[in-house]
Amino acid sequence: MIDAQLLISAVIFGLSIGAIFFLMAIGLSLCFGLMRIISLDQMLYYSLGAYITYSVSVASGSIALGVLGGMVVAGLASFAVERLILRRIYDRDIAFTMITSFGVLIGGVGVIKYFWGLVPRPVQIPLSSQVTIAGTEVPVYRLMLIAISLLVYGGLWLFLNRTIIGKAIRAGIESIEHVEGLGINVYRLFTVTFIIAGSLSGLAGGLYAPLIMVDPQMGLDVLAFVFMVVIIGGLGSIKGTLVSAFLVGQVVSLGSLIYAPLAQMAPFAVMLLILLIRPTGLYGTAFLKR
Amino acid sequence: MLNALKWWWGILLAFSLLACLRLFAPLPFVNEVLLFSIYTIGCNFLLGRVGFISFGQPAYLAVGAYAAAFYLYYFGTNPYVAILLGIVAGVIVSLAVGPLFVRLRSDYFALVNLALTVIVFYLMQKVLAGITKGDNGLWFLANIASTPLLDISRADQFFIFALLVAVAIWAFYKYLDDTLYGACCLATKVNEDKLHFLGYSNFRIRLLAFVIANTTTALAGAMYAIYLGLVSPEIASPARAADPVVVTILGGAGTLYGPLVGALAYTGMKDVISKLIGNWELFIGFLLVFIMLAGEKGIWGTLEPRLTKALFRKRDVASATKGRASR
Amino acid sequence: MSATLVVKDLMVSYGESKVLFDIALTVDACQVVACVGRNGAGKTTLLKTIAGFLKPISGSVTSNDMSLVGRASYDVARMGIKYVPQDKKVFSDLTVRENLELGSYATHDYDWQRVTSYFPKLTTLMDRKAGYLSGGERQMLMIGRAILGSPKLLLIDEPTEGLAPSIVTQLKEVFRELSRKTALVIVEQNLPLVCAIAEKVYAIKDGRIVAELTDRDAIKPAVCERYL
Repeated sequence: MIDAQLLISAVIFGLSIGAIFFLMAIGLSLCFGLMRIISLDQMLYYSLGAYITYSVSVASGSIALGVLGGMVVAGLASFAVERLILRRIYDRDIAFTMITSFGVLIGGVGVIKYFWGLVPRPVQIPLSSQVTIAGTEVPVYRLMLIAISLLVYGGLWLFLNRTIIGKAIRAGIESIEHVEGLGINVYRLFTVTFIIAGSLSGLAGGLYAPLIMVDPQMGLDVLAFVFMVVIIGGLGSIKGTLVSAFLVGQVVSLGSLIYAPLAQMAPFAVMLLILLIRPTGLYGTAFLKR
Repeated sequence: MLNALKWWWGILLAFSLLACLRLFAPLPFVNEVLLFSIYTIGCNFLLGRVGFISFGQPAYLAVGAYAAAFYLYYFGTNPYVAILLGIVAGVIVSLAVGPLFVRLRSDYFALVNLALTVIVFYLMQKVLAGITKGDNGLWFLANIASTPLLDISRADQFFIFALLVAVAIWAFYKYLDDTLYGACCLATKVNEDKLHFLGYSNFRIRLLAFVIANTTTALAGAMYAIYLGLVSPEIASPARAADPVVVTILGGAGTLYGPLVGALAYTGMKDVISKLIGNWELFIGFLLVFIMLAGEKGIWGTLEPRLTKALFRKRDVASATKGRASR
Repeated sequence: MSATLVVKDLMVSYGESKVLFDIALTVDACQVVACVGRNGAGKTTLLKTIAGFLKPISGSVTSNDMSLVGRASYDVARMGIKYVPQDKKVFSDLTVRENLELGSYATHDYDWQRVTSYFPKLTTLMDRKAGYLSGGERQMLMIGRAILGSPKLLLIDEPTEGLAPSIVTQLKEVFRELSRKTALVIVEQNLPLVCAIAEKVYAIKDGRIVAELTDRDAIKPAVCERYL
């Protein structure tokens, strides 16, 4: 029998992992929803966010400042990539965008190696204090991660439902052509969406950096997990991504409680199972043509 | 006879050139190129003919490699049997996961294959660590018996074997392109609805393509196992998952010789660039983006039309001069 | 004064196969023009090309002497040439209000009075998700969305397809009203409707214009039927 304290800490650990997964995957999901591209380069902005957090926090001592800087730099990088490369490939098919963005990703990993070298870099945990919940010691930083991810989800929801740009993005997710037909410059929507996606990936990297070692391969390492989160939720669905991220977080965390090697594999098994039942994921719709 | 020669000459020429390369380049390099090209041709077929992009080829590579490794480590000594077992394992695994995978949309397909690679990786590294020896891998170089006729436990004779296998595989894929089945594959890529209305089953066509491609990959895996004499979970490393896709694009997706040219270029460049500037990712990443933006034809896809044009012009000139000489 | 729309020698193809050949047509300000023809004759392709969704291989499309060829479709829409597609796809996840807001956002025209005066029914549906509207209501919303910004030309693709007769009658009145300020190009199979409102009819067959009826007296269902 697993004791209650272990279970509570595992659930909270799972939620915090889920929070990170959500932030990592939301960019990919947004880009697919609106632009119909699979933007693997989101993992580059994730790594970039982590590296900037490292450098800024070493220089200034403030991790919060680092994370903010990471978001900004990730946003700028995604803006540049969107303008220079992705803009030319929006009307190509999905496999094409996937390969191109993969090229951007590994090229970017090369750039990171050039600036920061191969050595993994540690980032200090900003809040090392613990609180006691139901008799269990829980790190405050993990609780903060959960709160931030929920805030981001709320913020995204407000943006998409309350602002006119957000409404246009939602409309574009249904039909790009009709939005264009109204006289709205969809390429500007694409740029805005891509910058938001890139910054959120950067935020994920910055927030996760204190819990891992920051190294050039970190983006590639999480690629499979991010994919999985997006697939389970359904490509393009923001709500689906949230649900699936927390689901995967729990599977990883509770799975490792039962049998450690399961932590890495169980989520993938869950994914195969879900796809067997629903080939488009939990909240995915049938393929929307542009 | 003449027709047969016409059909074969491209393949024979390509691999004779590769055999000649053996004279200039070190043996490990040419072996690497051969194995890599066999590894890639399955991915090339899926992407170029069926329109499925797979970020999960290492999974099938590992299936073949581990099948061969288990046999050689625990049971027997004959490398040919090991390769055969690798092929059988490839067929079984692709038949097992294929029906689920080929129903998926192409974007989901790519992602699911990657997920399978992750599963296989952790399966071999952690879950089955008792049999696979985890990260240490299985070492069985000493277990491989010398075989009569072609002793593939030796690197130089392995090269001849790999060359023969490659010729056979290329002939097989070229033959596939000529058949009605090859046409059907292309048709599912272009317009699956129309093909469905014509009375073909997209599912069966794709499943067959999936099994063919991944069995070839498993064969490559078994050959890697024999060649290296060691198999570790590293072979299914998700970090290397995109290599076949990159090589496919580099060579020219859907072209017959694309994987060969791509593997040659990739392996060659990796050696040279890593030594020169030491930042391989930077180079290959931007090269990939450049190829995609420049029309995604790849090296061979760009060269082929020019080569044929140049060749045929030359032949025209040659036949013209011959005509004059005979007069 | 230059015409609202002049199309000359227009050729359009999908990849290798040509769909439109040597199309030439003129639409004057506030004129109601109908295009008739069988399914697959190229009518929708024509409208989409004018609206900038397809690039022609040759020929010119101008509006008040400004070329439309090569402009992005949103740019064409901003010039006051709005395309109302036949698929009746409103943004189903958005409410009617949000659908209209998007139309206003693009054109900076927030005068919904005009929309609701044509389609009073929309006032009661404002907060309903557009996905729950009936076919007729969707068509009202699509047209209502498009007339924001007072376009000078509306390209309307099969507006009455699949709609109830009472709604068709209502749409007929709306088109009449609209044509006081806006030129209309309507692709339509409903000949009585066409003949009731059109001042000019182009018959399209196999990608070519085969007849042009400009005489009000000649525009009769029996005459148009020949080209279907």
